[in-house]
Amino acid sequence: MISLRRTAISYLLILIFLCLLPVFIKSYYLLHVFILTFIYIIATSSLRLIATSGQISLGHAGFMSIGAYTAAILAKELGWSPWLTLPLGGLSTMIVAMIVGYPFSRLRLIYFSMVSLFFGIGILAVNQVFDYYTGGFSGMMLIPPLLGSSKLPYYYFFLGLTLLCLIFMVRFETCRIGLTIKAIAQSHTVASSVGINEAAYRILILSIGCFFAGIAGAGYAHYTLVLTHGTFNLLASINLVIYMLVGGINRFIGPVIGTAVLMILPELFRDLKEYVPFVFSGIMLLVLFVMPDGLAGLPGQIKYWISTHRKKG
Amino acid sequence: MLLEVIRLTKYFGGLAAIEDLDIQIDEGGIVGLIGPNGAGKTTFFNLANGFIRPTSGEVRYKGKEITGMKPHKIARLGIARSFQLVPLFGEFTTLQNIIVSCYLHPRSSLWRAFFNTATYQRNEKYCLEHSLEILELVGLDKVKDELAQNLPHGYQKMLGIARALAIKPQLMMLDEPLAGMNRDEVTFTMKAIEEISDQGVTILVVEHNMRILDLCKKVFVINFGRKIAEGSPEDVRQNDEVIRAYLGDGYAASNQ
Repeated sequence: MISLRRTAISYLLILIFLCLLPVFIKSYYLLHVFILTFIYIIATSSLRLIATSGQISLGHAGFMSIGAYTAAILAKELGWSPWLTLPLGGLSTMIVAMIVGYPFSRLRLIYFSMVSLFFGIGILAVNQVFDYYTGGFSGMMLIPPLLGSSKLPYYYFFLGLTLLCLIFMVRFETCRIGLTIKAIAQSHTVASSVGINEAAYRILILSIGCFFAGIAGAGYAHYTLVLTHGTFNLLASINLVIYMLVGGINRFIGPVIGTAVLMILPELFRDLKEYVPFVFSGIMLLVLFVMPDGLAGLPGQIKYWISTHRKKG
Repeated sequence: MLLEVIRLTKYFGGLAAIEDLDIQIDEGGIVGLIGPNGAGKTTFFNLANGFIRPTSGEVRYKGKEITGMKPHKIARLGIARSFQLVPLFGEFTTLQNIIVSCYLHPRSSLWRAFFNTATYQRNEKYCLEHSLEILELVGLDKVKDELAQNLPHGYQKMLGIARALAIKPQLMMLDEPLAGMNRDEVTFTMKAIEEISDQGVTILVVEHNMRILDLCKKVFVINFGRKIAEGSPEDVRQNDEVIRAYLGDGYAASNQ
């Protein structure tokens, strides 16, 4: 009970810190980095939500792009309000996920990852075909903004939106639905023998996860106002997986920590920007060999090391 | 007639795993299904539970055809099963294994679960109580907070039975529940199986261990996918063909 209260208090402190942060940060650029981090936290967490069913999607940025382009096109071509197109971006992604979810639900593990990878690449190709609307290689510009041009309102809006999405996802995972999905991940044979409809749950979790990916994509579009061909490419999908794995796949907070660390740290050492891929792969190796539970599992691991060290000494 | 199997056949390539198998199981009691290694017992279970589709033939449950239905739909009709291998959700605790298996009774809708309604909370409370009852019945209540993968083999087997019980089945199919157990565990498990049967659950049990015959009212013997004998345990023990299948021709002759 005490540890629960301690956790609640520390989360509250972090939240207060984040709310007060813009008072101290005068740099618009740093504020921009924080806003992008919030958006990507939604995306990475939704990727982990799908991963609780034992499936790792390598085309998650492809799903983000569906939300992004749907929202952008609806707002730009049809003049709909960005407040409406933001949830519509999420919904459209969810509908696509439901449609592809049926064949996807029959694939497991590496086969799912491979097909989702090709889905991500395929979405980029579709993007090229409809270049009249999407802008193709040259990209899409002048997307209507959500909240004007000042950074500050965006900061608070995306802080709130991220919090809301995380609350939804954490509820999803802790109630019986999450338990059932984790059961399917461990043994789909046993799960179906107690009456759990494996395919339906796989489609469900993919659609819910993709809904949030779509929200993140639409939020990205209405904030940066520019979508380019490279924004949601394969590397973006793989980056999401790296954020998730570095943060720790076994804990809900993992992707939040992973995204925050890997997106904000490179900005603090901007002079070394060319070396980012090397640093990323270095961190990745470190995580795989030293911290299988990721950064989120680090406190527990340190406690464990200390206790074993004391026993030896 | 609870379960009726009519001329069930399954070929794996050119190999007949099950051929023209006819089995009738009446309601109540414990029914045994025995046979040497590779006789097709587990294949029969997988066919009856919808994990694999038969080449031909029919499986009927309470007069309704269930051949080729999906496993989760068959489970919903009230047929539970335990597995010979991979019998559990290893990363869950013993208790969680049962709670997640209480998926059908009572069943909460997704909305109710997500929004934590009063009905959902009541259902979850019932699930917890029911799961604890089941664990007590099979004697696993003392390890309820252990991770299932860390349990000793005998306990894991029991957990498989407990999990099958959680769906409130009318027919329970147990695939070698005694395999790999020591003497005490066998005695204990057999007592638990008997208790479950006393609660009105019909049990079909596949086993190598002949001690199970003491519990059975009726036994089917299969070999090479064909039924070679059926009847009371005593009849089957005397049956020439059964002795031949298990021990070879020489023993069958000396028995006469």
